[in-house]
Amino acid sequence: MSVFAEVVGQDAVTELLASVARRARENGDGLTHAWLFAGPPGCGRSIAARAFAAALHCRSPDGVGCGRCHECRTVLAGSHPDVVVVRPAGLSLGVAEARELVARAALAPTVSRWQVVIVEDADRLTEGAANVLLKAIEEPAPRTIWLLCVPSPHDLVPTIRSRCRLVTLRTPNPHAIAQVLIERDGIEPELATAAARAASGHIGRARRLATDAQARARRRAVLDAAAQLAGAPTLAESLRIAAELVDAATAEAGEETETRDAAEAAALREALGVEAGSGGRRPRGSAGAFRDLEARQKSRATRTQRDALDRILGDLAAFFRDVLVLQLSGTEDAVANVDVLSAIRASAGRSTRTDTLRRLEAIMECRAAIEANANPLIAFEAMAIALSDSGGRTSG
Amino acid sequence: MKFQVDQDAFADAVAWAARTLPTRPSIPVLGGILLTADDDGLVISSFDYEVSASATTAATIARGGRGLVSGRLLAEITRSLPSQPVDVELDGTRVVLRCGSTRFTLPTLPIEEYPTLPALPPRAGTVAADSFATAANQVAIAAGRDDTLPILTGVRIELDGEIVTLAATDRYRLAVRELRWQPARPDITAAALVPARTLGEVARSLTGGAQVEIFLSFDQPGGETLIGFAGRGTSGERQTTTRLIDGEYVKYRSLFPSETAARAHVATTPFIEAVKRVSLVAPRNVPVRLTFHRDQLLLEAGSGEEAQASEWLDATFDGEEELTIAFNPSYLLDGLGAVDSEIVHLDFTSPNKPAILRGGKDADQPMDDYRYLLMPVRLGG
Repeated sequence: MSVFAEVVGQDAVTELLASVARRARENGDGLTHAWLFAGPPGCGRSIAARAFAAALHCRSPDGVGCGRCHECRTVLAGSHPDVVVVRPAGLSLGVAEARELVARAALAPTVSRWQVVIVEDADRLTEGAANVLLKAIEEPAPRTIWLLCVPSPHDLVPTIRSRCRLVTLRTPNPHAIAQVLIERDGIEPELATAAARAASGHIGRARRLATDAQARARRRAVLDAAAQLAGAPTLAESLRIAAELVDAATAEAGEETETRDAAEAAALREALGVEAGSGGRRPRGSAGAFRDLEARQKSRATRTQRDALDRILGDLAAFFRDVLVLQLSGTEDAVANVDVLSAIRASAGRSTRTDTLRRLEAIMECRAAIEANANPLIAFEAMAIALSDSGGRTSG
Repeated sequence: MKFQVDQDAFADAVAWAARTLPTRPSIPVLGGILLTADDDGLVISSFDYEVSASATTAATIARGGRGLVSGRLLAEITRSLPSQPVDVELDGTRVVLRCGSTRFTLPTLPIEEYPTLPALPPRAGTVAADSFATAANQVAIAAGRDDTLPILTGVRIELDGEIVTLAATDRYRLAVRELRWQPARPDITAAALVPARTLGEVARSLTGGAQVEIFLSFDQPGGETLIGFAGRGTSGERQTTTRLIDGEYVKYRSLFPSETAARAHVATTPFIEAVKRVSLVAPRNVPVRLTFHRDQLLLEAGSGEEAQASEWLDATFDGEEELTIAFNPSYLLDGLGAVDSEIVHLDFTSPNKPAILRGGKDADQPMDDYRYLLMPVRLGG
């Protein structure tokens, strides 16, 4: 199976990347040294970047990116020595990491013709870090290729943006996602279709919804909360709903964080030879490694919680988007959350388009506030009040 | 895997391989040391995707095999064992280590996740271990430390027939050292840019034997990607490879001025001491001024209302008129320390042009094998 099979519903992009990789193999040079993969969250931009890296390293005689040769497999598994993948686990990618990356990117490739540096979520680069990378991206070492992944080209400073070749990925259509879920993950067609529609173009989310009953239950709870908020609840009820949503996100993130942190700490202890348990003696110089890990995990825990909150906001927005679709077109074909159709219909009947737009705006405002480090509970409460405020009442 | 090995040799080999272990491994297995026992003896290796190191040592092999254990822990254990034969055995997922009445049981790391160590490129030639270590240190001091200018953090190694040239610069100074060696082919020409930090360490760690072999690949379409060094340690063969920095190096040879307007020579040790004393009043990056008179040299630092210092030194100066030039004291001290001889020769063109420092056994004969080019600090007003 070609490495590009993983890239869902992006035929134009995969064709382009495959032909570039083919030409690069034939000519040996002339390859653009910096690429910008831009596409909405969940569209598979970092998967596309990884597939491109595999295609560039592929040694199969029957075409680039075979997905079977040693090179392709190690690139996809993340253990190829000439592919550096930077995945900012925390909230941002800072100057110190950027400097390390510049030093690494200056090295010659070990086994391949190119060294590929993939920066996932390059939108998390701080301004200082972006400036550190600028020179290295503008004039990289002769055999280094940069692949930067961002939701939108405007998430990067123009100095870097202007030095990259842009590859734009679109939101994959639900049919393509459902197809992949059915064929590769062996999901029941009905469930796959529902999950693909509900995920509004986010592939990872669709897979999660299709395979994890808990995730489905969480989404359903959020949609029910949306329906309740749209039904003009009292102030106390709105606040209770907001608190429940935030609690749910915290619980979900906490669970995810705990298991992952414990596993990482165990792996590091083993590698450094530290005995388990509190009495374990640490060899000299290893305390720093643990401090590092803890700092990384803390930053990541914040991000994990933020991601969970973001998913909730996404589901809330999806609900009101459907309401708006009904209000504008009157047809139900384009509704994504078909499982709560009656609630959507009820809400559409009870409010005007202006109300719905205002509610969507309130959700976006909440997202921006959380991005700017607002206290999640307060931001959610403000949003819940705005959502429950039906057009009849004046705001205030 | 089961073998018996002498404690000293084992500890030494493990310590050598553990030098390059990453302090913060990007993936946990890279914190491990790989033990390989086969007919050739015991090979102890480490790798962090950038630098690989392997040490071979004699051992009585009862059963061949491989095991991956925490490198830091193994290094600490082997160092503290009593001086007796050590028995090591792989028992399922654990490595058991016995020495006298001491016994350690270590968990193994997943060996299938461990990357394959790169093979040594073809042999390029042999160089004397001591002079290579000296040369590497003399040059590495001038390399840049700013990771955002990666090319300048390297030491350029040029192989040209019977001469090896090492060069490094951070734009403020340039150090060039030439030394003779025995090339594998008389017509060899090749060049490589090696991370300075790694080169200095590698050269120092290979002084246990008389000679160091250099390995450099030329087969890739774009040139060399990997350099290897091998030598003898106190208990067997030592090999290391490091990835090269990719990119075009500064055309440094043209930076040396073609003419000289004035020359001076000064006894090195008193010069170093005087610079250290005078620069006590010069905080970071404040220059030290040197004024050369016919038989004397005046060092000054500090000005105006601030603390000042001056010192007279014996020196021989050959120029039209007296010359005042200013240098960054720490860069000057680096150069004076690196010339590695009793007398230092200085060549000048003008106070705004770079000076060249060279060593020399006597007053008349500067040696050309090491040259340290130093940019002066422009004096205001």
